[in-house]
Amino acid sequence: VARMAAPTMEERKACWGARDEFWQCLDSHGDDAAKCEKLRRAFESRCPQQWVKHFDKRRDFLKYKKKLETEGYHPPEAAGKS
Amino acid sequence: WLYLRRQKERQLRARRLGHLRALALGQGDFQLRDTGGTPRSKSAFLGRWVLLYFGFTHCPDVCPEELEKLGRAVELLEREPGLPPVQPLFVTVDPERDDAAALARYLRDFHPRLVGLTGTPEQVRAAAAAFRVYVSAGPRDADGDYVVDHSVITFLVDPDGLLRDFYGRSRTAEEVARSVKGHMETYEPLPP
Repeated sequence: VARMAAPTMEERKACWGARDEFWQCLDSHGDDAAKCEKLRRAFESRCPQQWVKHFDKRRDFLKYKKKLETEGYHPPEAAGKS
Repeated sequence: WLYLRRQKERQLRARRLGHLRALALGQGDFQLRDTGGTPRSKSAFLGRWVLLYFGFTHCPDVCPEELEKLGRAVELLEREPGLPPVQPLFVTVDPERDDAAALARYLRDFHPRLVGLTGTPEQVRAAAAAFRVYVSAGPRDADGDYVVDHSVITFLVDPDGLLRDFYGRSRTAEEVARSVKGHMETYEPLPP
């Protein structure tokens, strides 16, 4: 398999733009991915698969971080009490 | 009061510099090649201030952002009269894919004086180790593509080749430039 060249600046910006559009759609539909399928497909077609995975994880992390900032940290109840 | 505050700042700076020297980070040498194929070790950059960033060309977002920031910081410093020039430097953490041609292509989009360095996997590993930079290539997908997890840090190296400071993702270009300027103003060459 021939090594693919790294995305150019134009390709990066196209990828980030598609990602941002997809994320904006998720934001306005309460993260309902079913409502944003077209933008999801555009995002996947504009970005290398590795980047899609990376950005999916990034979004999960950003949401988790926001949750911590707004709701605070609740340690799992299952942990044994000392 | 202003005098006392300035004196305290001087003491803090001196202490921080002492810590950095004691850590002996970055005092290891490196043996790499620039995008023209010329071998470059740390000695090639002695006598100059260097802002050094480790990254890779297949990086999804962090490296382009940090390189933009690095370029802006260097531009801000270029506009200051009387300051010595800063050499921006990029070292790849992905030597398998980032050969001289790939690096040259990638770095074209950033600061015009940005120099790119690559080498054999061993040489790159040694350079990252010298700066305590964490590098971990992720699993390959069906196309053989992968991302490289790595510390996101821009290092400031002084003309003696000693590490003076380091800047993470949260520092802005303006903050980096201000910090570099501060180091330049308090810099005293090491006695030979």
